[in-house]
Amino acid sequence: MAVTNQALPGAYQLLNYRIDRQISRGGFSIVYRAFDEMGAPVAIKEYLPSSLVLRTEGDIVRASTAENLTSFRYGMKCFFEEGRALAKINHPNVVRVLNFFRANETVYMVMRYERGRTLQQQIQMRQDQMSERLVRHVFMHLLNGLREVHTHKLLHLDIKPANIYLRTDGTPVLLDFGAARQTLTTNRPKLAPMYTPGFAAPEQYRDPDRLGPWTDVYGVGASMFACLAAFAPQAADARIQEDHLVSAKKIWSGQYSDNVLEVIDWCLRLDPLERPQSVFALQKAIRDIPPKKRKLTFFDALKRKLFSELGA
Amino acid sequence: MRFTIFQESRKGSRKVNQDRIAYTYSRDTLLLVVADGMGGHAGGEIAAQIAARLFIERFQQEAKPVLKSPLKFLQDSMLRAHAALGSYANQFSMLETPRTTCVACVVQAGHAYWAHVGDSRLYLYRQGGIIGQTKDHSKVQYLVDQGIIGADEVAMHPDRNKIFSCLGGLVDPVIDLGKRTPLRNGDVIVMCSDGLWSVLSKEEMSTWLTSTPILKTAPQMMAEAEKRGGSEGDNLSAIVVRWGPETLTDEPSTTITETLGLGQFETQIDRTLTLTDRKGAQRDLSDDEIEHAIAEIQATIQRYRR
Repeated sequence: MAVTNQALPGAYQLLNYRIDRQISRGGFSIVYRAFDEMGAPVAIKEYLPSSLVLRTEGDIVRASTAENLTSFRYGMKCFFEEGRALAKINHPNVVRVLNFFRANETVYMVMRYERGRTLQQQIQMRQDQMSERLVRHVFMHLLNGLREVHTHKLLHLDIKPANIYLRTDGTPVLLDFGAARQTLTTNRPKLAPMYTPGFAAPEQYRDPDRLGPWTDVYGVGASMFACLAAFAPQAADARIQEDHLVSAKKIWSGQYSDNVLEVIDWCLRLDPLERPQSVFALQKAIRDIPPKKRKLTFFDALKRKLFSELGA
Repeated sequence: MRFTIFQESRKGSRKVNQDRIAYTYSRDTLLLVVADGMGGHAGGEIAAQIAARLFIERFQQEAKPVLKSPLKFLQDSMLRAHAALGSYANQFSMLETPRTTCVACVVQAGHAYWAHVGDSRLYLYRQGGIIGQTKDHSKVQYLVDQGIIGADEVAMHPDRNKIFSCLGGLVDPVIDLGKRTPLRNGDVIVMCSDGLWSVLSKEEMSTWLTSTPILKTAPQMMAEAEKRGGSEGDNLSAIVVRWGPETLTDEPSTTITETLGLGQFETQIDRTLTLTDRKGAQRDLSDDEIEHAIAEIQATIQRYRR
């Protein structure tokens, strides 16, 4: 078994927070649930890149070689970027940072703890298709948050269902800034970019100078597509070679309003200039169109099954 | 604040200049720094640069527009510079930590505060006489204190370069803090590296600087000192400040800080000849930069808290 970084144990006292358990583990961090001194739950993200094994026991993070330390410190910049970005944003649909500190030779970001599940889990759990009402509800709110992000001249660059958290009341929270910022690094093989195939826009693979709001718009479109399909659209780098993506309008015509399907297809255009150029433009396009209700016909069901098999 | 300021650093006969000098001021506070990187030690130039920049950067974070406690600021900055040099050496797996002397001075609310490590000096003159000065952390100073040699023998002593406190050394630096000293108009602060004071006595400096416009005579003084250093001459650097409005000349040389907005700074730091800049683009975070980043994020969190 590969050696991995050890998570902090339960009941570990981290400054004035007490670790409860690990919630998730990503490429650059481990997220814990913890309690503050008032007993309120918080989410604490520990910077600990999985590509660098830095802690096999205890709590202190140690770089074993100078090269490792260099990569570790370099990646820390990206973690700070995320902290800086989020600290400025106080919006109900964007994860809120409560504290930021240094300990155990690494850095920690304390975030508001939200109850619920990720949109990814929601998609995987559901047997039937997500209703248009829910899709609209989630994305209208999410776009409000994303607009706030863009207002602060920040791009998320990793919008995908796993980074969209649904509170128990159904409102979404945009999570995990910064992971995608790693994409801007070069010559650092140990902290290689982490694109999420299917959700990353084509310019993220090959044209980092052309990143913009439209890049996040692609991720939004791909996430909406995934809500309907329960799988990600074809990866953008493969689409550039040979585009097999079947338009949402073709697959789900009749099951969802043309408006929603057209918006998804619009967001998923390969050419950045052909997508909605801003979140506001996107919101305008999907706002105020009442969802059409139509019963699923036998042919629709057949068509849907056929396309999903082709696509998967 | 009103003052006249001069700074200059010369290479002397050496191949590189390992001295760094810098000043910065907000509307209400002035900071002066002289660092003399230690030759014979790896990266003396880097050390002096790191120390000077650290002072400037911390000042710009904390002087908003005044420092809460100037002496604490000076002491903390010295310690942080010392730590930053250690982590720099660590990052680049250097066999030896880069080392530097450092003297720094804050003027705030009409009072001067200073701190030093090693043998870079500060002199404070009033009407031509010395009213304050630093005492070197050096072997020869110790010999003088013990009465073994006279003060006039220091500049020529074979051990004159041996210092027992520096930033980046194996042991934590000894930091001397100068007591809070009220300034009067016309007072002159001189901060310099040993390349200057070893060839020019404090009395001579007084003659050059206290009764003539400093912007005219200070460059002449530097030229004279460099000439005296000759073919063995060390790097030599000085920052000279005359406090209060310039009364000795009609030249519009007085710096008036009231025009600076809150949160604004004017800074002069010698960025030439740096070994660090090339690496700088690729350089990784130092401990101090990490602390900066965290402090900045925490401040932002507070600001946007509703």
